[in-house]
Amino acid sequence: MTAAVPARRAWTPFARYRHSLWLLTSRDLKVRYSTSALGYFWSILDPLVMAGIYWFVFTQVFDRGAGHDPYIVFLLTGLLPWMWFTGAVSDTTRAFLKESKLIRSTKIPRTIWVFRLVLSKGIEFLASIPVVAVFAIFAGATLHWEVVYSVLAIVIQTVLIAGIGLIVAPLVVFFRDLERAVKLALRFLFYASPIIYSLTDLTDLPEYVYVLASFNPLSGIFSLYRAAFFPQDLDWFAVGLSAAISAILLAAGIIVFRRCERYVLKGI
Amino acid sequence: MTESVGVAPGEPVPNPVITVDDVGIRFRRNRRSRRSFKDLFSSRVRRSTPGEFWALRNVSFSVAPGEAIGVVGRNGQGKSTLLKLVAEVILPDEGAVRVGAGVAPLIEITGGFVDDLTVRENVYLTAGLHGMKRGEIAERFDEIIDFAEIGDFLDTPYKHLSSGMRVRIAFAVISRLEEPVLLVDEVLAVGDKGFREKCYRRIEEMLAGGRTMFFVSHNERDLRRFCTRGLYLDKGQLLLDAPIDEVIDRYNADYPAS
Repeated sequence: MTAAVPARRAWTPFARYRHSLWLLTSRDLKVRYSTSALGYFWSILDPLVMAGIYWFVFTQVFDRGAGHDPYIVFLLTGLLPWMWFTGAVSDTTRAFLKESKLIRSTKIPRTIWVFRLVLSKGIEFLASIPVVAVFAIFAGATLHWEVVYSVLAIVIQTVLIAGIGLIVAPLVVFFRDLERAVKLALRFLFYASPIIYSLTDLTDLPEYVYVLASFNPLSGIFSLYRAAFFPQDLDWFAVGLSAAISAILLAAGIIVFRRCERYVLKGI
Repeated sequence: MTESVGVAPGEPVPNPVITVDDVGIRFRRNRRSRRSFKDLFSSRVRRSTPGEFWALRNVSFSVAPGEAIGVVGRNGQGKSTLLKLVAEVILPDEGAVRVGAGVAPLIEITGGFVDDLTVRENVYLTAGLHGMKRGEIAERFDEIIDFAEIGDFLDTPYKHLSSGMRVRIAFAVISRLEEPVLLVDEVLAVGDKGFREKCYRRIEEMLAGGRTMFFVSHNERDLRRFCTRGLYLDKGQLLLDAPIDEVIDRYNADYPAS
């Protein structure tokens, strides 16, 4: 009678992980695009409106002393990766709280709840790249071979967001205030990162400002993206710091996440 | 139906499918109270801060493949917590839980369903998250829909279903996972009588097919119908691990229905 039910499937843990991660990522994208008819359009509208505002303010109202020409391309190459960063990080504050019912009923590796956000926002970022291409053509920007560095930038940025997410997501379960703190930090970081200006613009200021800004991991990442159109912006010192800080944050994130996991499961 | 396994309750069984070894888990009495950073980063060796209680402690047992186990106890004595530990959706603070086979948890079954997606998308999502491949789901899809009696609503967003339909489709999916271990947590309290009976027949079929089951219920008749062995939990302790009739008699003696 105790004839056991035969084991049915042959999943390796890695295949199972990838399968679950992909299911949840595509679910996120499906939900976003099924609830509004203009799905894709909405995801690029936000950066477009922001780029439009900054373009108007800095090229039409003020005489701009920052960035490079064509300024709209310069803006978009910083704004689009920024949207990925800010969207994913602010979503990770709700990674567990929003999905509590599902987490309480399915046993999948818990890091998936964070990584799915990094991935779905990353896919939206990739989908928004044609926007830059369109503006680059119309504004007459030249594409340089340094565009290959974008791949490196994507890798570093993925590591960075994953690390921050692994720290933020579990801690928010215990400290709900952290959600607000993160929002505030992101707003500050928008102006503290070279998005509407370039890292090289800071060299006119006292030197410590430039050094401080280089420690912002986003500085190096954005300089890699921008090298596609503005190779003079490529700053290997900042890139090296970005890579190192991102790696440290990911390591810290893994430790924090492991420590908190059991409390998170009880707390949600 | 299921014949009892030839091992005395409480004894370790050979080749167990589930082993629960001196397990303890603690919860905060007041869920709103905040932890401090210091708490999180100190080691988790036996420390019981005020405001916490042990929902379960020193619980040990093992389960042989094919056993059907009823978990008995009053509300708040750790029954659902035990089920969640076996489902590995929460982790014990002490001891270890080892589950050597796939688990189909009928716990908070509607939790995995997304309001904005259609029934069809939800079936693929939930079954997929529980480890089914796309082809396997496609093979069973029609049968799942038939069982849930929901054929007309395949492309309706989940949020537009009635609560009865939601439970039906959820049960139909989870019970078709064909995992060797089945966990049932009073989910069937919902739904109409006819459907409940259908669910019970499905559970009986699965037991006859050699599955291992954990069943939490307050209904004596259901417990006796499905289970061979009982676990009696009280105040976070495993008081009795014995054949189900013995366990129910002891429970009734301790808490006579007034």
